[in-house]
Amino acid sequence: MSSTEAPERFEYLQSLVTEFQDTDSEEAKEQVLANLANFAYDPKNMEYLRELQVPDLFLDMLTEENQNFVEFGMGGLCNLSMDPECREVILQSGGISLVTNCLSNRREETVLSAVTTLMNLATPATRPQISEPGILQCMLRFSLAESPRLRNLAAVFLQDCCSEEQVRQAQQQTEGRQTAVGIPLPKGESQKVKEAHISQN
Amino acid sequence: MHFLTNMAAPVNNRSDCWRVPEVYKHHEQQRVCISRPKYREGRKAKAVKVYTINLESRYLMVQGVPAIGVMTELIQLCALYGSVEEYRPLDEYPAEEFTEVYLVKFQKLTSARAAKRNMDEKSFYGGVLHVCYVPEYETVEDTRLKLQDRRSYIARAARSRAKQREKTEATQESLVLSEAPTSSDKISTSRGITSRNEDTGEALSLSHYSEFPPLPLPPQEHCSFRQKSHRRLVPTEDKMGTLHNAFYNVEQQQVDSLSSNPTTSNREQGTESRLGPNPGSGVRFIPRITNLESRKRKVEESGETAANVSGENEPLIGPKLPEAAKLDMEDESLNTTVGLIRSTMKQVGSVPDLKTAKKKAKPRRRI
Repeated sequence: MSSTEAPERFEYLQSLVTEFQDTDSEEAKEQVLANLANFAYDPKNMEYLRELQVPDLFLDMLTEENQNFVEFGMGGLCNLSMDPECREVILQSGGISLVTNCLSNRREETVLSAVTTLMNLATPATRPQISEPGILQCMLRFSLAESPRLRNLAAVFLQDCCSEEQVRQAQQQTEGRQTAVGIPLPKGESQKVKEAHISQN
Repeated sequence: MHFLTNMAAPVNNRSDCWRVPEVYKHHEQQRVCISRPKYREGRKAKAVKVYTINLESRYLMVQGVPAIGVMTELIQLCALYGSVEEYRPLDEYPAEEFTEVYLVKFQKLTSARAAKRNMDEKSFYGGVLHVCYVPEYETVEDTRLKLQDRRSYIARAARSRAKQREKTEATQESLVLSEAPTSSDKISTSRGITSRNEDTGEALSLSHYSEFPPLPLPPQEHCSFRQKSHRRLVPTEDKMGTLHNAFYNVEQQQVDSLSSNPTTSNREQGTESRLGPNPGSGVRFIPRITNLESRKRKVEESGETAANVSGENEPLIGPKLPEAAKLDMEDESLNTTVGLIRSTMKQVGSVPDLKTAKKKAKPRRRI
C-alpha cells in the first residue's frame, strides 16, 4: 500500500466516521455504518479503521436499539476480527461479552456474525472464556437450527473452539430441554443431539 | 456431457440438499437506497447491506437462465472465472416462467466472487441473470475451510503490510539522513514513489482478493496535486458490488474552500482535530469519541448550529480515478481468459434478444 495513497484513503474513512458522529439522521447513520463495515472487509483499510477507533464504534453499536445498527456493527466486527491487531483491540474493549450477548439476537445475520466473531476472538488466552458452558449450550442448540448456515457455523465452533469433553458436558446439561428460545428444533431432538455429536466427534 | 468434473454428481451427498430449498432472504434483491449524499453515492444504486464472510460462498445460484437448453453455455461462461467443480439445475427452486435456476460450485471462493460480480445482472441469451451466493449449500467442512482461508489471507496481508511499513520507514530514514530536507513535500514524494513501486507487485497479487478496487493513486509530485482540475467524488463499485466512493480530482478552489469551510473548521470537536488546508500531507490521527463523550458534546453544543456534512454536496479532495477497474485474476491463464471473457461477452451481447413471454416491468436492481 502506497503511503502517499494513505492520506486520501484515511481521510475518506475519517470523513465517514465524522459523518456518523455528527449526523442526526438515522438513515444516514445506517448507510455510513454499512459503508464502514464493508470497508472493514478489505485488509487494506483495517489499519486506518483501527486508528479511527472504528472497532470501538462497532462495539458501541451492539447495545443500540436500532437493529440495523446492531446488525451492521456486528458485521463490521466480524470483518475486522479476522485481523490479529483488530482482534486485540476488540478483546481489550471487552468484546467477548458484548458479542456473546448478540447470540440471542433475533436477526440471523447478526447471530451468524456473532458466532464467527467469537471464533475469530478465540486465542489460547481467551479460549476458557469463549468455551464457557453457557456459550457451548447455545452452540449446541444452534447446531440443530433450521438454518444451514447457523448449523454449520455452530458445528465448526464446537469442533474448533472447545474440547470434546467440554461439548459432552454441555450436552448433558442441555439434555432434557426440548426447545431453544426462538430457534425451532427438528422433531426428536434429544436423540438427534446424541447422533449429531457422535458424528461430529 | 462431460463438461468439467463430476457433472452427474450431486453437489452434496447429504440427503437434505434434495429438499425443496427455501427462498432465503439474502437471495432476494433488496430495495435500492436513494438517499445517499453525493460524496458517497455509488455509480450504481445499491441497497444498504453489509457483507461478511458468511454471505460469501464457493456456491453460486444463477437464476434467470432462459430455458432453451443453454446449460453448457452457462457453465462455460462460469468457467471463465475459475474451475467449476460441480453444477446442477435447481428444479425445485422457484423460477420465473421459461427460466431455469442452476447451482454452480466453484473450486475457489475467489472464482465465485469474480463470477458473481461479472455475471450478475448481465444479459444471457435473451434473459437477465441474477447471481447470488448460496452458502446454505456448504457442508460443515466447506464452511470451516472458507473461514480458515479467509483468516490466513488476512494474516498474510497484515504481515506484508508490516513489511512494507518497515521498508518505507527504512527508506525514509535513509533519505532524511542522506540529505537535508528542503520541504516535507520532497520526502513524502520520494517515500511515495519508493513504496508505490514496491507495492505494485504486492498490490497486484493482493488486489484480486480485495473486495474493493484500490483507492486511486495520488499524483506523483506533490505540486502537481494542486494543478489537477476537474476533480470530484465519484462512486465506485467494489468487487462485492457494494457501494463506496473513490476520489476523482476536484477543482483546486474547491479543495481550498472545503478545507477552510466554516462548517468544518468552526465545529467544536473536543478531542478531534480538523483537516488542515494541505491535503496530501501526512496521516493524522483523529481519535474517535465514544458514545458517552459524544452525548456530552451534543449537550454542550445544543445551542450551536452544526451543519450536517451529509447534507452538503461538496465533493471531497482526491486524485483522479483510474479509467476502468482492471480485473486481475490469480494467474496468467485466468488473465488470458479475462480477455476471452470480454470478447465472449461482446458476442453474447450481440445475439438478438429472444422474445420471452413475460418480462417484469420493474427494473432489476443490484443488491
